Amino acid sequence: MIKASDKKTKISIRHLYKIFGENPESVLDHVKNGMSKPDLLEHHQHVLGLNDINVEVKEGDITVMMGLSGSGKSTLIRHLNRLIEPTAGEVDLDGTNIVDFNEKQLRKLRRQEMSMVFQHFALLPHRTVLENAGMAMAVRGVPKEEFQSEARKWLDRVGLKGVAEQYPFQLSGGMQQRVGIARALCSNAPVMLMDEAFSALDPLIRTDMQDLLLELQEELQKTVVFISHDLDEALKLADHLVILKDGYVVQQGEPQEILINPEDDYIVDFISDINRARVLRVRSVMEVTENIPDTVAGEVDHDDNLESVISKSEGAPDLTYVVTQDGKQVGVLKMTDLFKALVPTAASEDGLRAGAA
Amino acid sequence: MATYDFVFRALGLQDWCTADGSSAAPMSMDALVAQSSGEEASTSLWDLPFPSMDRLNDACQAFPQSRNVTRGLEQGFLSVKDSMSVVLDPLTQPLSWLLEGALYGILNTPWWIVIPLLMLIVWFVSKSWQLLAFVAISLMGLAFIDYYSYAMQTLAIILVCAFLCVLIGVPIGIAMSRSDRMRAGTIPILDMLQTLPPFVYLIPLIFLFSVTEPKLYGIAIILYAIVPVIRLTDLGIRMVDESVIEAAEAFGMTDRQKLYGVQIPLALPNIMAGVNQTIMMSLAMVVIASLVSAPGLGVLVLRGINNLELGVGLVSGLGIVLLAVMLDRTTKAALNRINASQKG
Repeated sequence: MIKASDKKTKISIRHLYKIFGENPESVLDHVKNGMSKPDLLEHHQHVLGLNDINVEVKEGDITVMMGLSGSGKSTLIRHLNRLIEPTAGEVDLDGTNIVDFNEKQLRKLRRQEMSMVFQHFALLPHRTVLENAGMAMAVRGVPKEEFQSEARKWLDRVGLKGVAEQYPFQLSGGMQQRVGIARALCSNAPVMLMDEAFSALDPLIRTDMQDLLLELQEELQKTVVFISHDLDEALKLADHLVILKDGYVVQQGEPQEILINPEDDYIVDFISDINRARVLRVRSVMEVTENIPDTVAGEVDHDDNLESVISKSEGAPDLTYVVTQDGKQVGVLKMTDLFKALVPTAASEDGLRAGAA
Repeated sequence: MATYDFVFRALGLQDWCTADGSSAAPMSMDALVAQSSGEEASTSLWDLPFPSMDRLNDACQAFPQSRNVTRGLEQGFLSVKDSMSVVLDPLTQPLSWLLEGALYGILNTPWWIVIPLLMLIVWFVSKSWQLLAFVAISLMGLAFIDYYSYAMQTLAIILVCAFLCVLIGVPIGIAMSRSDRMRAGTIPILDMLQTLPPFVYLIPLIFLFSVTEPKLYGIAIILYAIVPVIRLTDLGIRMVDESVIEAAEAFGMTDRQKLYGVQIPLALPNIMAGVNQTIMMSLAMVVIASLVSAPGLGVLVLRGINNLELGVGLVSGLGIVLLAVMLDRTTKAALNRINASQKG
């Protein structure tokens, strides 16, 4: 496995601010001096959207930006292809600041560098599924005869054989979002932005779509920026997890790392009722050592989740497993450590729910 | 002695009031009534008249009467009329040609070509046998009672005017949907056009153009009927799902691609509803326009009223209703087919 730090940075967001209101520049200094969102609204009638966002998106990663509604995650993703203009800050794509782009460069960026998948699918209702899938190429001026085969290929790839000539309204929500993904893939852009792409789908279909995305990602290695309000989904997909609250980044890092070392009460509340056994991986709780323990109960892979190890041990608390990666030992896992890791960090007194109530 | 003498006295304007000393201004209606009934205007508080122009004129001869306002407007209009005609005449001449051409064409093509042609259009637009049968029976019925040429004249005028309404109205609607300022400026004009009584359109037009010219009624019909197509084009484009527009932008569509590829197709049901309304309103106006020499069924209605020919008036009225139903059903059928292809 390549370490995150070895990967090339694809998109770099630096000191990004977004303020909504009549005259955002006039209050930017207040925000930079640390004025809070409620104060800004009360005293200056401006809404703070994003507050000093710094995120590095690595090439080939799935970067998940997560937060509750109003945390600015959808605003943030729209800055990456400038559907929303920033108040201040930089967004670098391969080292070029796209905030400086003129209209023509921006259009080229949207056509060739970034594709997008939307929460409510946003397919063109008057075009067939095939035409929708090939939309990115049609926009570039490729005639239908030429983009057909490409569009068909991607429709097949996302599991939509034989519906090419139907209209979007004839498909179920899950199928429509598959068209949305095929449309994004068909543009052949290296970056794929997904704005709550699976949030409007029901749970079973959502799981299917997540699996589809992971499977496609294995094969295509796109740079994916994924927005979600669902922690389970975020933990399942993320290589890099960014947690947003009220427009600022609370914590970012590898999901396992965030789970084990939450830096903030907000995060603690957030992760307090997820199924840790299913999310945590062996590599996060093992002891890194090449020594072979005295009694070995068996071998587990470093990327197995704890749930599978528990079922393997049948609940026995005193076993020790050798952890392997590609057949080589990378560490040792004691069941006692495993059980300790399952105890959630205590939720703060006035947690999320108490705050909301 | 009039009620408001004191105003001018207080302002020290008596000299101005009696300056020309003449009583050139015509006597106001109230004064005339008062004079003939031999009563002095009452001065009790209960009968206090509103200080209108006429009342103030009673007190002061030099003060203009309200009739002078309308007369001023009249004279103002008449004085700019000639220069306006110089600009408007050539500009609107194509409308006359179009109307004359359409009327000539439809009357000089034999009925056995025109009727099947119309039915072909109805079939092409609606794909409905029932509607086709209805149109066939109605047209033949009208022809059978010798109302064919009148009905065709009306139809020709409506089609030309509705076509021009769409040609002018859709771009205006699109412009309105793109600029809030344009919209704010246009809406009061549309409101005025929509609420102005149809007869009022005719008044300035009669002054501007000769009554024998077809463009006179053409302009009246277009002004009256263009409103719905403009409004509904604007509304339709503004109602297009924001998320679809956002997707179009996210994939790098140019404004033109967005307009022709997304906004207009998605606004089409609304635009078609506007076209339907526009056709219906031109039909209403074409009857009134018969007052200014528009040919067609309206002429017969007018004859019915003028000569008290009850039968002629009623039958031609019925003919107009038939025409209206045919046009309405045909455009609605087209609208439904568009809806079906978009929403299922």
